[in-house]
Parts: sequence; structure tokens; C-alpha cells
Amino acid sequence: MATCFPSIACLGVIGRNNNPLHVSIFPSYDPATNSYRPVRTPLQFSLLLSSTLDVFELRSRQNVAAGTGLTGDFGLLHAVDERLAAYGFETNTGVRFVVIVDMRGRIGSGPTGRTTTAGDGGKTPATPASAAAAGVGLREGEMKVVFKAMQAAYIRLLQNPFFDPDEHSPPGGHGGRKITSRKFGEDMRRIGEGWTAGVTSL
Amino acid sequence: MDEYPAGSLDLNVPFLLALGTAGAATYDSGLTGPLKEQASLIRSELPAIDTDQALALLRYLQDRDASKLPCNGRSAPKKHRFRIKTAERSILLLPRRARLPDGIEMPSPTAVLHSPYSPLSPISPLYPDGLIDAQWIRKHQDLIPSVILCFYTLVADPTLATLCDNKIKTDVNNVRGLLSQSGHKTKLAVVLVSDQRSPSSESVQERLENLRRGCGIDPKSMFLVPPGGSPEEVQRMAENMLTTLYTVSMEYYRDLGRHARKKRGRGVAPQPTVPPTSGTSQTLSLAGWNVRYDFKSAVFAEYRLEMNDALRSYEQAYENLFSSELMEVIPSWSPRWNEARFLADVLAVRCIRCLLWNAQHSAAARRWQSHRDRMADFVDRRGRGTANYGWEAWESRWALVMASLIEKADIPDLAPDTLRLYSQPEKSLMADRLQPWELLHHPGYWYRLSATHMHARRAYAHQIPDDDRRSPSASPASHVAKAAFAYDTYMCPDPYEEYPLNHVGVDHGKMIIDRLKRARIEFLKRDQIRAAAEVSLECARELALAKDWATVVKLLRPIWTELNFHAEGWIAIAEELDWTLRTASAALGNAELVLALDWELLSRTFPKRANWQYDITKSLEGITTKSKPEVSIADGQVVPFLSTSFLFKREEGKAGQFAQTQLTIKSNAHQGSAPVVLSNISVDFDGCLSRLTINHEEDTVQQTQGTVAISTVSLTRGTEESDADEDDLETTNANVTLTGASNLTLAPGQTLVFNLDIPLREPGETLAKSLTLNLETETFSLHQTLDFDERTNPNLWYISGSVTKRIGHPNPLSIRVLPRPPKMEIRCPVWKDQYYTDEAVALEFELLNGEDIEAHAKLEVTLFGESPPIFKVEIPGRDSDTSSSVRNEESRLGGLPLGNIESLKTSNLQILIPPVDRSSQFDLTLQVTYFLPTNPGTPITKAAIFQLNIVNPFEANYDLLPRIHPDPWPSLFDHDGVRSADPTDEDAPLAFKGLFQSWYLLTRYASFASEPLRVVDIDVVLSPSPSVRCSATKALGHPAGGRLIQPKTIEEASFDLRAQKVTLDDRSQAPLDVALLIKWTRPDSDEGTVNTTTLPVPRFSLFGTEPRVLTKITHMVTPHPVLILSVYIENASNHFLTFGLVMEPSEDFAFSGAKQTTLNLLPVQRRTVEYKLLPLEGGKGRGRWVPLGLVVRDKYYQKVLRIVPGGEEIRGTKEGGVEIWLPGADVS
Repeated sequence: MATCFPSIACLGVIGRNNNPLHVSIFPSYDPATNSYRPVRTPLQFSLLLSSTLDVFELRSRQNVAAGTGLTGDFGLLHAVDERLAAYGFETNTGVRFVVIVDMRGRIGSGPTGRTTTAGDGGKTPATPASAAAAGVGLREGEMKVVFKAMQAAYIRLLQNPFFDPDEHSPPGGHGGRKITSRKFGEDMRRIGEGWTAGVTSL
Repeated sequence: MDEYPAGSLDLNVPFLLALGTAGAATYDSGLTGPLKEQASLIRSELPAIDTDQALALLRYLQDRDASKLPCNGRSAPKKHRFRIKTAERSILLLPRRARLPDGIEMPSPTAVLHSPYSPLSPISPLYPDGLIDAQWIRKHQDLIPSVILCFYTLVADPTLATLCDNKIKTDVNNVRGLLSQSGHKTKLAVVLVSDQRSPSSESVQERLENLRRGCGIDPKSMFLVPPGGSPEEVQRMAENMLTTLYTVSMEYYRDLGRHARKKRGRGVAPQPTVPPTSGTSQTLSLAGWNVRYDFKSAVFAEYRLEMNDALRSYEQAYENLFSSELMEVIPSWSPRWNEARFLADVLAVRCIRCLLWNAQHSAAARRWQSHRDRMADFVDRRGRGTANYGWEAWESRWALVMASLIEKADIPDLAPDTLRLYSQPEKSLMADRLQPWELLHHPGYWYRLSATHMHARRAYAHQIPDDDRRSPSASPASHVAKAAFAYDTYMCPDPYEEYPLNHVGVDHGKMIIDRLKRARIEFLKRDQIRAAAEVSLECARELALAKDWATVVKLLRPIWTELNFHAEGWIAIAEELDWTLRTASAALGNAELVLALDWELLSRTFPKRANWQYDITKSLEGITTKSKPEVSIADGQVVPFLSTSFLFKREEGKAGQFAQTQLTIKSNAHQGSAPVVLSNISVDFDGCLSRLTINHEEDTVQQTQGTVAISTVSLTRGTEESDADEDDLETTNANVTLTGASNLTLAPGQTLVFNLDIPLREPGETLAKSLTLNLETETFSLHQTLDFDERTNPNLWYISGSVTKRIGHPNPLSIRVLPRPPKMEIRCPVWKDQYYTDEAVALEFELLNGEDIEAHAKLEVTLFGESPPIFKVEIPGRDSDTSSSVRNEESRLGGLPLGNIESLKTSNLQILIPPVDRSSQFDLTLQVTYFLPTNPGTPITKAAIFQLNIVNPFEANYDLLPRIHPDPWPSLFDHDGVRSADPTDEDAPLAFKGLFQSWYLLTRYASFASEPLRVVDIDVVLSPSPSVRCSATKALGHPAGGRLIQPKTIEEASFDLRAQKVTLDDRSQAPLDVALLIKWTRPDSDEGTVNTTTLPVPRFSLFGTEPRVLTKITHMVTPHPVLILSVYIENASNHFLTFGLVMEPSEDFAFSGAKQTTLNLLPVQRRTVEYKLLPLEGGKGRGRWVPLGLVVRDKYYQKVLRIVPGGEEIRGTKEGGVEIWLPGADVS
């Protein structure tokens, strides 16, 4: 029985005004067609990302009450169903990173750092039944490396003198523009494709 | 959970039946058919009691029913736990052994009959090879009570007591007999309710004892309700009774459990009463029997709340069920297949509940998941696979079951007020790599999961081919046979009912909506508004399919107004929301909502919908409205496709002037959408005007360049104030409305720029607040208000269509209107940088009225500085001879009336400042306050500040040189000559007969003025002293008419001073106080006013008793230049002094006189020694200074006296010696 491994299904960066700054969607293994494709539509991912804002708000309230949560790592926000789970991180400027992990996003004999693209179903095909079997779990700390990498990418973006964070999340205002930096997008893609459970650096 | 047979999943609670109370409904055990016939009736013959006591007790018992309590170990009552039912008279008990159905002969007389629910009984549906079903669970939960509690009345009337007691005995014995006949081991308990107060407790005790013995009842199972007890007493009694009965009941279930275990321990499969003749003739295998026994003992453990035992037995049963001997061998077409699946579900649910009971939440979630995975694997391998509607139906149900299990368990970690979404894993699982889903989430997530699977079920159902959707009666038999095994119909209908071809089948939509609504409630309980919105959106999609538009609007409208997905930038969500809402509101005919949504959907941020007509004016096509809809959209309600900005070009403006402003409206509508023609727009202000309106006018001039159209709009006062003079900008009116006209057609992507010149009236701050866009059509009117926000206002000023510039000032939405500037001018025609001390300063000022009309003015003059002088102001034509008042460092003169100053006329005035004796600086402020007759209430103030520098024009330094007084000193021995007047005689003139000295005062004074000054005269003033007479004569004459002194030049003046003491007796030192007077005028001063500057000279001191040597050179006119050096030695002391004189020879001159001599001086005597000096021709004929080797020594004190030059041509040196001037040859 080939096992399923967690992979990143979506990376989201949400600005201070609750506005989406960046969304990257990654394909996951689909046992029905034995191919790689995103598990949800972009609209559904938008809704998923947006609903994590509730959790961020709830947690901040709890953190304020308890005086905890200074690191900004919110850990598991919630599991949407038995496949998808959202993890969150908030920077001290209010920018939030959300990682939606597909617990059965990859299939194979072991975690690999190999880039997978849509339609790349050429690896050992497993029977659909076995693919449905429970995969490998996750420890709370295993997303830290993703957030670290995302934050590093975001910091690199901020270091660009032509990037004005206030344009993307106007202080006290509504909305803001999305991040259009190609480099940032590539960074996100690299992180999303490179991560598997147990990876220690990205 | 409702889809499972009743009771199959519920927690089992000990069953207690109360028998013999009136008013209680007859207990309906639900037995039907042959079983009802065979059932044994337990019947009490005595009438049911209906006393208040009994009913109160019964009601209390019913309140304590534990079957609905939360399923967790935490909140379970410790003492007792009963499911309590009541029956009035009788109860039907399930037959212990089922009779054989008619037509089947007893195979042998020794054959054993079995329970009707056993697979051994032919009457049972499980016969011959079924495992176990829900009926068995119901048997113990509903049909066979563990305890029957009989109610009887204890009659207090002594005459009837014995009779009644006997009746009770008979009845109890009867009931017990029936019970034992039935074969069930149900326990019997009696409760006696006294009908009134008993005469004595002893007799009652006796009766009770008698009854107990007569009935053969255990003393623990007999209870007495004392008469007339308070409700509290009844409760206490009931609690005790229940606690006692609970132990009895536990014993009952323990016996049953023990029995089940004993049967399992036998290790043989029992044989059915009648061997099966139909089907495969297969009987239940031993493994099956073990599952059955394990299940039974687990259920009995559950009755006893021994959850760990129960869990162990359930798990054992579950594992055995999935073993290769049981489920693996059941063919999937057999009905036993689904029964096995059902049993697996029941086992899994009961396992999960045991885990939840023990607060092992993550283990429960994991158990849920593992059963799902195991079942999926099993169905995939052995059944009809997981890609069909039947499987999805089960998945959906499985999630739903979990949701209700979680709800029933009432987990404190997941209570809504904790705002926690999932519970933390228990400690034992902390170290594992947990799946996120294994952290038990609140039921909302499970409901949603259930809905998702329901979606999938529908999708599969819709894939059923038409042939299978026909009802079997309408299909060929061969097809029916084929279809019968193609679909997984475990707990769900056949394909022709799931999705029938001709009529409505399963309403999936309703089920989805039901689940989603329950999820939404759970999300909202925990403040997950966005998650709830997400669910609402899914729900609305289903409702839209069901065309339930009103509910769609009800669900989505609050989301649309409260959660601003569009403004936050969640475009995809907003798009979905808007279109769904638009469709629903259009179907409902809600014109306002349709318009607002169409207005929002015009924005290009949304993807363009193909084949959609983007034209707001045609929005209401196909919608009938009663009246013309009017929509007002406040700022922030929708994200409009228009962006606007407003700019004041300058930060400041002045009242009475115009401010340049620019209003920009940019359309961000979809390309290809119809241009929006606004009827009018208006800008609201805070400040000096209230509103500005631009009306649409088709043919106005616009400079169009690219997408930018710039027009200049001329503004006029609003029509409502047409009676006011339009050009009169002077009036102050805050409610000014300006109107203009321009083309307000806004094509997609176009930017309209309006240049507006706004007249400013009132001083203060004027702020552009908001813009209102009005769209009036024949069918509707729409008003959109947009607030200007300085944070989002782009500060770009359109110079032309392609050129913009950034407005520099920080807040271009507001302008500071300054008051009207004063046009009065204050001038000083002649102003000098410096004025001088001791000079009266007269300053001329002119006031020029630059206003258009005459001004009534007042003046205030302030002189500010250190000790300012009092000054006067002279205004020609007015006798305002007032002086200023001095306070602190300020000399002020206020309220000087200047009268009316005609337009463009000047008014003169003069400020007179008296001479100041010290150099100082003052600030001279002239402040004119005036009123214009047009606006008499508003004072206008103009101030001018001048800096007045007053400096000392001169400075001087002084040398006082000793000279030789030519007169001989008075002699001490000349009594008459020196005697002074009798001091007592005051009338006598003061005769000065003391010593006298002659001095020479040399002053050098310099002009520090910035211009030439004319010094008219110079003099010294001696301050008189009582003991000294002093007089000064000017040594050098001053030129008549004065001397013009240029700045920074030094002049000399010298004076001869003579001083004499009053008496000879007084020879002490006397101070000399002199002041130098310089009389000067400004050279350009006509009047010849002479200013006198007095410069004090530092104090000198004259006289003294020390001996003094003075020298003087005189020339003798001889053929040879001979100099006579006179040496005067003065002894002013009272001592006789001897001096030695030594004259050193010199190479420069020859001298005659004593080279070395001794001089004796009497007290108060002056003696003179003369030397004649003949210069030698060493100096080559030129005059020169040569040292004089003269030494005068006080013989007594051996002190060399300093030789003081007492005239010209002799001088002292720095070393203390003396030099004399030898004239050259040409002198002679």
C-alpha cells in the first residue's frame, strides 16, 4: 500500500487589511484520475483562505487574553476536512501567511523534494483504494520552515525600494493591491513545491 | 443518526418501569405480529393510584430520566442513571423463547427454543446465519426492564388496612409469578404510598414487615412514601430509592453480561432449533457467535457504564467482524453483507462514543477515520467500490453521525464560548504524528463534510444511466436483475428511487441545505463569520437550484452588506456572491438590490461575464416594480466602479479670492459597457460653502485627450439664492450653493476632470467631504455617495490629459482660508539705523489707506525694551498730547483716534521720544486697527514693527598728568598765611589756604556714530568737594562753530586743573570727580539743537602726604641751547626729611649743578634744585630722548623716589627712569 504524504496545496499571503496579497495553488495527487491537479477551484481556495481570517481573529483574542502568541506562529488554524488543513503565521506588521496542506497531496514511497507539476502522474501508480488510506501525520512544528521561508521571501520583497507596503495595505484603509513581483511568486512556487514533511530548509 | 434503526446507536441506559400509577400512558413496547401474541403480560390487578403524593413522586422520577443526558463521563450522575418509563396497569414482556412458526414441527421433544431475536429461532430475521441486529439492542433497552417498580397505596384506615394489605400481597405475588413464568430475571420493587397520616409509625413498621414477608420481597426493594411529606422529602426519598434500585439494576445487567461471557466461553456454535432448509442452509459460524457474544457483553457493560470494558469488547467484536472468517466471506449480493456493514457501523459508533466518554477526543477522531478507511478499503475490494452514490451517502451519513456524537458528548473544549475550533490531543497521543483532522473539530466542520459528501452523492446520482432510473416495473426483467447488483444500496434507495426518471426522487438539495445550515449555526456560534459566509454561499447555490430565491437573499444579503469581500480584495468570492444575489434578487423583483448589484458589477475588478449586457439603465428590464425604485448607496456599501478625487491646488487661500480646485471622476467600468450618463453630481463641503453641483449638459466644451476629458466649469450661485447679488462675494454666507454644468457622460475607462474656481468667503478651514453621483433614468434613480478620504485621495492634478503633477501639500482635500488681508500701510519715510543717546528722537510716520473705501482707524503704539522711555505721539490736527504709560518693559500708548482716513490718503503722525541716556534697543510697534463702513463689525488690524537702536555716539579715555604749580607753597611757620577760618564761624567766607597742585587732564574722545557729527564744544565738569577747591581751564581752544568729527576718528582735548585744599592741616588724599561734556549737533540739523553727551571720567585722586619729586625742563635762551632742569621735591608730611640727590653724568649732555648733594626738607615744604644741561653734539644735530641719571633717595628710609615728569619734554620710562628731550641743533 503506497502511502500518501502531505504536500502544500495553497500558499496565501494576506495583508493587514484582510486583503489577499498573494495566492499560489499547487496540484495534489488525485487518486480518481491518478494525476496531479489542484484539489479545489481558485474560488474555493479563496474562501478557504478568507475563512482562516476568522481563526486568526479568534486566536489573537485568545492570545491577548492569555498573553501568549508572541512568535506569530499560530500553528494549525483548523482542518477543513480530513484532507486539507490550514496553518497560519502572522508577522508583527499584521501580514499573515497561510499554508493549506493537503494531507494526501503526494503519493510515493517516501517524501521527495521533487517538483511535481499538473499531469505528472507518471510515478508508481497506486490503486485508488490504497491512495485513500491514511497518510503520514504532521507535527506542530513542521510548518515552521515554510513560514520561515515565506517570511524570508516577503522580507526580500520589502527590501525592494520600489515596493511600497502601504500601497498594498493602506494604513487604516480597505483592501490594497496584490503583490505582482515575479520573484516573490517564484519564491512561493519554490516553497510550495519543495516542501514535504520533514524538510528542514527551503 | 436517524437513518440507523432506532436505538441501535444510542447509549444504553438501565431500564426502569413504574407500574401502577394513574395518568401514565400505557407503555407501548412496540411489539407486533406473532411476538405480540406470544408476549407474556405482566398485569397488576389493583387499581392504579392517583394520589398527589404518588404523582409527584412519579413526576420526579420522570424528570430524573437519564436517557437524554450528555454522553460523557464527566457530567454523568454518579448515584444512579435510569431510563424511566411508566405503565398504568400492564406491560407486555418479550417472550423469553420464541415458539416455532406454524407449519414447522418440533424436530424432537428435547429441542430447545431460543429467544425470538436469536439466529437460532426460525421466527427471527437473522435465522439462520445472521449476526445480530438492532432488535436485540431494543429488546433490553425498550422491552425488558431491569426493574419493575410497583406502586401501591398503603391505606391508613384501620378497618380496611388488613384487607388492602392482603390485596397488595396477592397482587405482588401474582406479578412475581407472571415474571418468573416469562423467564426474565427482571427485579421487582414495591413502593407504598400512604394515603394519609398514619396513627403510629410502629404499626406502620409492623404492617410493612408483614407485607414484605407476605410478598417475599427483599427489604431493600420496598419503599414507603410517608404521607403529607413536603416536595423535598419526596425528592429525598425518591433519590434514595433510585440509588438503591440502581445497585439492583446493575446486578441485573451484570448477570446478563456474565451469561453472555459464559456462552462465549463454551467455544461451540449452538445449533438452531430447526435446521435451516432454505438458502445455503448455512448457519452462523463460531466466529459470528463470538462477535455476537462480544457485542452483547459490551452492551451490558455499557449499561453498567463500564466504558473501558465496553470499548474492549466492542473492539474485539469489530476486529472479529472484519476477520477473514466473517465479512470477507459474505458475498456482496447477500442481505447479510449490508447487515454486517451495519453492525460494523454500530460497533464503530459505539467505540467512538466510549472514547469520547473517556475524553479521548483525538482517538475518537482517529477511530472515525480508521473505520471510514477500513470500510472504503473493504467496499473497494469486496463490494461495489467507492465511486458511487451509495458510498457517498454512507460517507455523508458517517460524518453526520460523528457530528451528532460530538454534540451529544458535550465536550467542554469545544463549547462555543471557548471559541476553540478543535480540541487539543490527549497526552498519550501528543508525541504521535497526528493528522490535523484527528484533532477533534467542532460539529460545524463535520456537518460541512457531510454536505460535501452529499454533493458528491448527487453528482454520482446524476450519472446514473436512464435505464437504471426507470422503475423496475417499467423495465425489462433482465435489466432489473442486472441493475440489482450494480449499485451499492446500503441504507440508501435504489437508483430508480435515488434519481428517478419521471418523478422526484431523493431531494439531495434539501439534505445538503439542512446540513449546511446546521454547520452555519455552529460556525456562527464560534464567531467564524467568514466560514459561515462560505457555508452560506454553498447553501445559496443549492437554494438557487431549488429556486428558493427569498432564502437566498435572506442568507446572502447580510454577508453582502457586512462582510466586504470586494473591498478587501477577495474578488472571486465577491463575484460569486454578487452574481448569486443578483440572480436571486432579479427573480424576486427586488429592484433596489438589482440596481445596487449591477452598479457594483460594472467594476472592471470583476471578470467580465460573457454575453452579459453591461448597461445600468437596462438593469430593470424584465423586472416589474410598483413605483419607481430609488436606490441610495452610501459610501462603503458597495465598491463602486468609480474612483474620485478632489484637490485644492493651494494649501491656503484668502477670503475674497478664488481657490482653484479640481474634481476627478474615473470610470473603471468594463470595456464595452454602456457609458453611464450621470444626471448631476454634487460635492459637499464643510466650511465656507456647503455644496457644489454640476448638472449634465450634453454640449459643453471638453478637452479630450486619450481617456481624459478636462472641462472648466464656471460656477454660479445657486438658484435658491438668486435674489442675492451674484457678484457680491463679500457677504458671508456659509450655506452657499454653487452650480455649474458640464458633460457628465462617463465612458468605460474614461476620466472626467473638472476645473472649478471656488470663491472663498469666510476665513477658516474648508473641507471637501463627499461626492454624490445621481443617476436619474425613466425607470429608476440611483444615488451614490462617496466620501473623500485623504489617505486614498491621489494627489494628482491634471494639467492636461497626459500631464499630471503631484500636489505637494499634505491634505489637498482642505483649504485654509485666511482672513481678508489688511490694506492699510504704515510707513516711516525717514528711518535711521541709529539714534543717539542724549538726543530727542522724533519719528515721522505715515499711514496710507490702501482700501477702496475710507477707514476709521485707531492707533496703538508700543515701545518695548529695557526701561523704555515715556513717549508722546503727535497727530497733526489733533491735540492728542498724551504720553505713554510704562509698565514692565513696555511703554504703551493706545487708543489714539486717527479719525477717518480717506481711501488712498495718508495720515501723518509723529512720535517723540525724549533723550535716552543709555545705549539701548527698543521695538517700536504701531498697530492700526480700523473698520470699514461696509463691515463695521469686523476689525481689521495692521501692525508694523520697527527696531529702534539708540547708541552712545562717543567714547573717551583720560590721562591726568601732574604739573608744577608755579606758586610757592605756603609756609607752616607763617601762621597767618595758613590759618584757615574758624570752622565754627559759619558766616566767614571759606578761604582756601591749603596746599595746591596743578594737573593736566588729557582726554581723547572717539566718535562711534555712523555718520559725521559736529562737536560744538567740549568741557569738563568738576564735581565740587568741601575740602578741595578745583578749577579747570581749557588748554586748547575749540574752533568756533565746532568741529566735524567723522565716524571712527579720535580727537583730543586737554584741560589744566588747579586744586587747592582748604587748610594746610589737611594734606590727605582727595578724590577728583570730573565728567566730560561733549556738545554736539547733527551736521544736517537746522535748528541747531545742541545735544550734550556727558561722559563720566574715572575718579582720580589728588594730594597725599608722600613726598613727591617733580621735574621740569625750561629753556634758557642763550647762544647755546641750555636746558634748565628743575627738580621740585615736595614734602607734604609732618616729618623732617632728608633726601640725597645724585646726578649721573651723561654722554649726551653736560650739566652744571651738584652731582651729589643732600637736601633737608621741613614738614610741608617744597624745595627746588636746578641743573643746567648743555647738550653735546652726539646726536648729529637731531633732537632725541636721552635718559637722565638723576636719583633722589630718602636718606632715612633709604628709598628711591620716583621722579615724576612735571611738564613737557620730559617723560618717564617704563623702567621707572626719566628721559629728557634734547633738541637738535636746528632748534637753536
